[in-house]
Amino acid sequence: MFAKSIRTTGASLCLAAALSLAGPSSAFAGKEVDSDWPNMTWEEILAEAEGQTVNWYMWGGSDIINSYVGNWVAAQVKERYGITLKRIGIDSTVDAVNKVLGEKEAGVSRGGSVDLIWINGRNFQTMKQGGMLFCDYMQKMPNDQYINWDDPTVAFDFGIPVDFCEVPWGRAQMVMVYDPTRLENPPKTIPELIQWVKDNPGRFTYPAPPDFTGMFFVKHVLYSTAGTYEPFIGPFDQTVYDDVAPQLWSTLNDMAPALWRRGETYPADRAALHQLFANGEIDFTVATHPDSVGKDIDKGTFPPTTSSYVLDDGTVGDVHYVAIPYNAAHKAAAMVVANYLISPEAQLEKAKPSVWGVRTALDLTRLPDEWQQRFIDLPRHPAVVSDADLARAALPQPNSEWVKPFEDGWRKNVAAKN
Amino acid sequence: MVLAGLREVAAEGGSRALWRRRSLWRWLAIGLLLTWLILPLVPLVIWSFSFSWFFPSTLPSRWGMRAWEYAFSPTASVLPALWDTIVIAGGTVFLSLLIGVPAGRALGLHVFRGKRIVEFLVIAPTIVPPLAVVLGIHVVFIRLGLADTVIGVILVHLIPVLPYVTLVMTGVFANYDPEFEDQARSLGAGWVRTIWYVMLPAIFPGLMVAGLFAFLISWSQYVITLLIGGGQVQTLPLLLYSFARSGDNALTGALSVIFILPGLLMLLLTSRFLTGRNQVIGGIGR
Repeated sequence: MFAKSIRTTGASLCLAAALSLAGPSSAFAGKEVDSDWPNMTWEEILAEAEGQTVNWYMWGGSDIINSYVGNWVAAQVKERYGITLKRIGIDSTVDAVNKVLGEKEAGVSRGGSVDLIWINGRNFQTMKQGGMLFCDYMQKMPNDQYINWDDPTVAFDFGIPVDFCEVPWGRAQMVMVYDPTRLENPPKTIPELIQWVKDNPGRFTYPAPPDFTGMFFVKHVLYSTAGTYEPFIGPFDQTVYDDVAPQLWSTLNDMAPALWRRGETYPADRAALHQLFANGEIDFTVATHPDSVGKDIDKGTFPPTTSSYVLDDGTVGDVHYVAIPYNAAHKAAAMVVANYLISPEAQLEKAKPSVWGVRTALDLTRLPDEWQQRFIDLPRHPAVVSDADLARAALPQPNSEWVKPFEDGWRKNVAAKN
Repeated sequence: MVLAGLREVAAEGGSRALWRRRSLWRWLAIGLLLTWLILPLVPLVIWSFSFSWFFPSTLPSRWGMRAWEYAFSPTASVLPALWDTIVIAGGTVFLSLLIGVPAGRALGLHVFRGKRIVEFLVIAPTIVPPLAVVLGIHVVFIRLGLADTVIGVILVHLIPVLPYVTLVMTGVFANYDPEFEDQARSLGAGWVRTIWYVMLPAIFPGLMVAGLFAFLISWSQYVITLLIGGGQVQTLPLLLYSFARSGDNALTGALSVIFILPGLLMLLLTSRFLTGRNQVIGGIGR
């Protein structure tokens, strides 16, 4: 309120009026995030945050996630900090990025409509490169102590240095999903899987890149073909690409005739892949959140006999974050919400299989013993891979600079040839 | 349409044999139309009550209310979205008629220099994708404070809606005989009474058709609502699309049913006005 009334009435003339308009809680501090940010204490931020509304733009395609954020988190921040959390469901994070970009182009550098975005990977890269992010606020957040910024999977988002411009919120890792009643011994490595596909024509496929899930599969074949992931977590290197790409395309083209519908067409996205698997047309699908497999069985999306596993040669995982745009109207409240999201209780609630069931972004060794135990004691759906197995098989995401060349390459060399 | 057909059937009871033959064709056409309209909606309804439904089963193996429970829970915000969609569609109908009726009258009744150019400009939004225009309008709306508001969304909905409203009204006025207005004026009616008692009753069926078009086009807008409303103005298509893309068929089914019902309701409510028997007007709905 305070910030907004100053901005709209303009200049110091109206300071008295602004003070009388703003509530007593925000007036006493006399500082506001937009101008006095570096000198503010956490208490002053809390004071400014009270009574603000946070517009949180996030993908809205899951009723479970919508409920966790819209009911549980919203009620908690309302009660604890007097903040109204408004979840704004969008179909794709790009919509929120474009919105901030549109505001930037229109010269709205203050009072922007997006306060918080659920983000990672290329969208983060776009916003960071475009100077569209508010950064360096983690040091003030009390719960930052639970984040291990020395962990490269946290400090690098798809190979891009996070540089304290986003707050880690949860972890994901790809798992293979299959039905043991149809297939007793699923292939355990990428080369075995490719052989299995050739031996069982029509029973496997992957979504066409640039679909996110489809690119997951291409990345695994890439790592397997190259024999290492190391060159791909750094910046793009044309010589490495020229060296490995032809092998990758020939591997994918070799297996294409044995894919579902002879590789003449590919499913559009993960939802389509899941449906093919659930309907028994193919024998595998992949999940990018290990715990979503249990959820999808409970929801009736997958048959009850479904199970999941990780490949012995590893599966790619990543961290997802929340970020505050540079022009957010309610930065103080957005920081308070972000801080609450990485509190042990909010992370534990999120990790419960009955709620959302996503792995925590916190470094458990930094938590008090009783909290560590609560995370260890979390029940796990029998179809979901254990944390130990996931950790053992974790591979990093390639740097996002590599993604576009491989997407274009797939279109030219695989899609066009079959 | 159905009711209109029935009324005509009842009115034309002259020759029995002719009546019977005509009514057979009529019923066949009505039946075909209903099947065409309703059959594709059946799977949506079934999905909305399904818990799990896998190929090759004809019906879900387990039924459940998960989708409907979520759809009516406060988290889903379906009811506020339904209200916003109604307000936006209603506002769009009102404004588009306010602009489209005078425009249609000018184009339908008068010949003037540059009429072809005006006509072309009126239909231009159906040729140029609204998205291209709206991207530019967005920047202007942010500066005017219209972005993220219901009013802003109503204003951009006018872009795809106005060509249809204006074209329908042009057609109506092309068959309109303004001499009836002169008669009313010579009998002492002022222009307000002339519009109210002569013009409006005469063009009423056309007004209904144009309004129905406006309502349905506004009701189903996605991209331009998202861009101007910025997610803060949540309409049903926005919610529906999120779930359809994520592959949650039960929820998509439930939301689709909620999405389609008002449109069908409008169609049924307005269809009885579409017979249009009035000597002032040449013909629409005949």
